[in-house]
Amino acid sequence: MTDTRGSGDLRRRGFLRGAALGVGAVGAVAGGATALAGSTASAATPSAAPAGRGAGFHGSHQAGIVENVQLSTAFLSFDVTAADRRELTELLHTVTDRARFLTAGGTPAPLGITDSPSDSGTLGPRLPGDGLTVTAGVGASLFDRRFGLTDRRPLRLSRMPAFADDDLDEAWCHGDLSLQLSAPHPDTVLHALRDIARNTRGGMQARWRMDGFSSPPRPSGTPRNHLGFKDGTANPDVTDPAVADEVVWVGAGAEPAWTAGGSYQVVRLIRMLVEFWDRVSLTEQERMFGRSRDTGAPLDGSREFDVPKFAEDPTGDIIPLDSHIRLANPRTAKTDDSRLLRRAYNYDRGMDGNGNLDMGLIFVCYQQDLERQFAAVQRRLAGEPLVDYVSPFGGGYFYALPGVRDRADWLGRTLLA
Amino acid sequence: MSAEPDGIVPPFPPPPSGTRMTRRWQATAAVVAVAAAVTATVLVAGSGGGGEHAAAKAQAPADGLRHTAIDVSTGTCGQGWSRPRSGTQVFDLHNTSGAAAEVDLTDPRTGKVYGEVEGLAPGTTRPMTVRLGSGSYAFKCLQNDADAVTGPTVVVAGKQPQGPAAAPVDQHDLIPPTLAYQKWVGQRIAELAADTGRLKADIDRGDLAAARRDWLPAHLVYERMGAAYDTFGDADAAINGIAARTPGAVDDPHFTGFHRIEYGLWHGRSAASLRGPATALDGAVHDLLGGWPDQRMDPAAMGLRAHEIVEDTEQFELTARTDYGSGTSLATARANLDGTRAILDELRPLLEPRDAGIAKLDAALVRTQATLDALRHGGVWTSVDKLTHAQRQQVNADFGDLLEQLAPVAAIFEVRRTA
Repeated sequence: MTDTRGSGDLRRRGFLRGAALGVGAVGAVAGGATALAGSTASAATPSAAPAGRGAGFHGSHQAGIVENVQLSTAFLSFDVTAADRRELTELLHTVTDRARFLTAGGTPAPLGITDSPSDSGTLGPRLPGDGLTVTAGVGASLFDRRFGLTDRRPLRLSRMPAFADDDLDEAWCHGDLSLQLSAPHPDTVLHALRDIARNTRGGMQARWRMDGFSSPPRPSGTPRNHLGFKDGTANPDVTDPAVADEVVWVGAGAEPAWTAGGSYQVVRLIRMLVEFWDRVSLTEQERMFGRSRDTGAPLDGSREFDVPKFAEDPTGDIIPLDSHIRLANPRTAKTDDSRLLRRAYNYDRGMDGNGNLDMGLIFVCYQQDLERQFAAVQRRLAGEPLVDYVSPFGGGYFYALPGVRDRADWLGRTLLA
Repeated sequence: MSAEPDGIVPPFPPPPSGTRMTRRWQATAAVVAVAAAVTATVLVAGSGGGGEHAAAKAQAPADGLRHTAIDVSTGTCGQGWSRPRSGTQVFDLHNTSGAAAEVDLTDPRTGKVYGEVEGLAPGTTRPMTVRLGSGSYAFKCLQNDADAVTGPTVVVAGKQPQGPAAAPVDQHDLIPPTLAYQKWVGQRIAELAADTGRLKADIDRGDLAAARRDWLPAHLVYERMGAAYDTFGDADAAINGIAARTPGAVDDPHFTGFHRIEYGLWHGRSAASLRGPATALDGAVHDLLGGWPDQRMDPAAMGLRAHEIVEDTEQFELTARTDYGSGTSLATARANLDGTRAILDELRPLLEPRDAGIAKLDAALVRTQATLDALRHGGVWTSVDKLTHAQRQQVNADFGDLLEQLAPVAAIFEVRRTA
């Protein structure tokens, strides 16, 4: 089926939970889709709350990409179980409607005696918004023949390959859709996850999920990862729109027109062998990273944001040639266009069978071009000394969709409409 | 809820009722299961006294919604609503009488209910959040042991779309479908008795191949009666109980019935060791058959069961918790869908005018059934652990969606007082 026309028809034939339609009516008012599920229950208008502390939901780009990492996150990959393009369209409408409501906050639709409550209540009777961001992406597998999208795949989007030091577990890799929920509080993240899952059960099923957190500055600067080092110090300044356009956002060029305003999203689930790491001398740890553990400064500097002067140390006497920061970002004219935007979170998920702590990094990064940026960096890092202490076992390549511009717009409109 | 209808006395058991169904397993686990099964629907949850009302009045509402204070008593039911508006809003219901009350916001012309608060204790205030469009409304106050009183009709002007509402279902409404369903179950028990007799005969003569063949049809007949288990009482545990997870629990003499026999048939146990369980199963089923004409199903359970059958399927079959070796969890799931359809068929005349999502519910049933049927090849069902990733995801998606579509059924068929 390739019917993507007429959202009125779409909604009448809807297959997802009715409560979504209730809240979705807000979008429908502006979007012209007024024919809802044929019931009086369909036009609920949750009262809007003041915008949260995070980015607003509407814009040319999705929120949750250039904004700073938040304290709590859930990253999920989904398999789409929608039967055809019409159902996929309904699914993305529903995700949009839920995300719009959850990020803005407000009173959940009262359903009276016609249904169980439309909200779980875990955030109280009125949703606070709470700076929640919802960031959705599409994986290469969505562009197979199921939805008639074979000719719309973003140019660089492929199935994430296994890199030199990877130990990928298929159950933790890839997926048709990605969804990252981030907020200052874990209850806000989990409430949003529960809400979106409830409203989309028929259309998508989680393939894998990793919850994460970021730490407050200890004592200052960039948050630290489980290895004790600051993670993301050298990020480009994407508050400068020119830098963001150069590094993060896909614009015109050879890409399909629908992709404008999106960004390539890479997620890597990286187990960190923290017990092993803790038995390594500080000097060796610091030489692996090329930075001081305490301050985050490059080994040739004294403060976190000092710029390493690799050219003055051509043989790596101070910052080893195979250190992480030197391989990842050699800071030469030739490698300048491989810079990317890191948005990493720590994860912690209990114990491993051998009695070790099961913790690591949800490495998320955004870029304009997968090959030119992430893959190039990853190839430079092949065999770095750090690989003995980490094990990438999952993740995937996704394309973060263009932003939802206004109440009439929806995630994936330019792809599907 | 106090819903004793005038002029109706037993055979139907007196409300309150609507106990949640929980599959019971044997031995130590049974205690936990029984405790979990007691989920009372009626709790007078009011706290605090009259001072609460005054405090609520004094504070500006933190929820940003329009609040209206409403009086609840026989003489003043619904008073306080002087400036009607459309939209999402809160009515703060204050019971000024000396008895607990149920309060409904109704459309007096159609009888449809837009919101309800049950068990409003004397002197307490509780909020009712509703979304109202243009139309006429009246509060209905139903005090315990008193006739219902309907307050003044209030008109919301304009052309705003109406909020979600449904006509209440009372015990009278549910008696015909309950009787019809009970009759259908009686026919199934007769079918089951023939099947368990055959299974017992197979085992008695030592033909375990025939027993393995005849076990499934018998078990599936039982699994189609999902809405009646509660009425079966202890017989349900004897016929279809499962063992605790503790080591050796399968050898517990209290582990009996279909799954005990399944365990033996698919774990190389001797015919001799299964004769006792087979005889006990057949005996329990025949006892059920003999006693059924005297049983009375609880009408208040009808709507609950319509969604709980599939809740159980998801919890026990899709996890293979109840698989003792036959690998037929999906066959059971399929039989549970039949059972859900059987009860929905009886409820349909009442459901159709009340559930705006009924077309989606029907579609979800069709879709889930088709997904399961595609997992049966040459008469053999795929076992849950042999599902491919894609099959597993589709099964999860279809059952997840079906359960969401069934949730309104339980809400709509909660038995309500109407007079």
